Amino acid sequence: MIETTTSNKTVEALALAKEITTAWFWSLETAEPEPNRLDVKLASADDLLPIVTAMRVKRLGYLSAITGLDPGLEADQLEVLYHFCTGAAIITLRVPIPRHAPVVPSLSPIIPGAEVFERELMEMFGVTVSGLPIAEHLYLPDDWPEATYPLRKDFDPVSIRLTTEGGR
Amino acid sequence: MHQDQTVERFTVPIGPQHPALKEPANFLITVEGEIVTKAVVRLGYAHRGIEKATESRNWVQNLYLLERICGICSHIHATAYCHGVERLANVEVPPRAQAIRVLVAELERIHSHLLWLGVAAHEAGFDTLFMYSWRDRETVMDLLEELAGNRVNYSVNVLGGIKNDIDAGQTQKILAGLDYLEQRTRHYLDVVTTDAGFLQRTRGVGVMTRNQAEVLGTVGPTARASGVARDIRVEAPYAAYDSYPVKLTLEAEGDLEARFVVRIKELFECYRLIHEVLDNLPSGDLTTRMPRRIKAAETVSRVEAPRGELFYFIKSNGSDMPERVRVRTPTICNMTSVVKLAVGHQLADVPMILAGIDPCFSCNDRMVIVDRGIRQQCMSWDALRRYGIAYYHGNHS
Repeated sequence: MIETTTSNKTVEALALAKEITTAWFWSLETAEPEPNRLDVKLASADDLLPIVTAMRVKRLGYLSAITGLDPGLEADQLEVLYHFCTGAAIITLRVPIPRHAPVVPSLSPIIPGAEVFERELMEMFGVTVSGLPIAEHLYLPDDWPEATYPLRKDFDPVSIRLTTEGGR
Repeated sequence: MHQDQTVERFTVPIGPQHPALKEPANFLITVEGEIVTKAVVRLGYAHRGIEKATESRNWVQNLYLLERICGICSHIHATAYCHGVERLANVEVPPRAQAIRVLVAELERIHSHLLWLGVAAHEAGFDTLFMYSWRDRETVMDLLEELAGNRVNYSVNVLGGIKNDIDAGQTQKILAGLDYLEQRTRHYLDVVTTDAGFLQRTRGVGVMTRNQAEVLGTVGPTARASGVARDIRVEAPYAAYDSYPVKLTLEAEGDLEARFVVRIKELFECYRLIHEVLDNLPSGDLTTRMPRRIKAAETVSRVEAPRGELFYFIKSNGSDMPERVRVRTPTICNMTSVVKLAVGHQLADVPMILAGIDPCFSCNDRMVIVDRGIRQQCMSWDALRRYGIAYYHGNHS
């Protein structure tokens, strides 16, 4: 009994996500890399707030995580993944942003729980999250060197050891 | 003297030294009189950069690294990682291995919930309950040691299966342990719902409505105590959970008492599940072959840790090392609720509200404890004692 309702929930959520992202917003690529997963590739960060607002209004899933991705220096791009989950469905909004000016809007006015993920994204990937009320470090120490983002591929752990240990 | 009617506003730093549990986090709490008006959280005191470290280790090494993210829910981290990697590599794990993964996960949930019960009782000033529940927790710790050889970081999982089988003798020991724990758990449920002094600290405190719990994105027992039906074991069964279906434990009240009741009732569900696994344990292999390199792909692995949904995003690039491993632990989802719920409460309630979500900062910050260079694999009690004395002399003479 529970099993049927859960799988119905999953199927309905995926259908609704597809409707929102392909019928309400055009020219969005979608992919289904695995069962119960829907990846939606956004053209730019400008589409993010309208889509997330639509999902919130439709009560479609909860923001489970925000993942930063660095495809490497040659791509000249970073990617931010917003994973929304409900039942067994995982809807991922993939937002490409330029590496030299990475900015995404903050989701925290719509989803309060987004704040901690966005603070982590800022310090780990150097992505500016505009409109974030608290933009301080969440995990990294206060004396962490500026413009040093540990989860980027060009981060050099040795350089950090030299700065923090003061050449000892 | 000038009579100022406005209440002075203070900002009280709580932590980083154990704000509630014996783990570090810092809360800046603004109070007007005794009432909290604002709370800001600062984490990272146990941050060791494990996500980054995974990118320079191979798939097998990462299993052992990720298992050490947390000392309480180590098995579930390894399980989440194994499931993700096995899916990336298109490897089917034998049914017996899947069932034993469930068995160990439920034993781990018992130990985690009992540990939390003690700590939360201690926060409420109920140290008798703390001592009893931790004494009883030893039962399940002994069972885990019996099964895996370790009390924490059991290391039961390997990529493609598990490494510890279970025999008839161990089954008997587990059943006997469960009988004892079941009887004790009934007593604890009675205590937390009837003890008048304890209820003053829990009933109606830190209330989170169902809507709030959904908006804040809470997970696990914290969400279920507010009536949100969120449990990955039910919603998206992994390992062998589709063969051993889980009954969802829900409470509607959303206060601290409900968080106690949900976790204690979940213990009964753990006992039932373990009985079911032991009664219907499939026979067969424990492991299957895993490739060393994994083609480029991405996967999401979600599992139900004792504290709620644990989320792994794993990206492979065709080599023997992952391109990216993203770990999102349940505590960070629930942490927002603490910061929001604390507002309007008395300062003295803050530790209890924090304890209510069962925070795990090591998970949160993704810490690793570096071993201090003991080279021997195994130490007798005597050798350990001698080592301790030598260590002490070496450092203080």
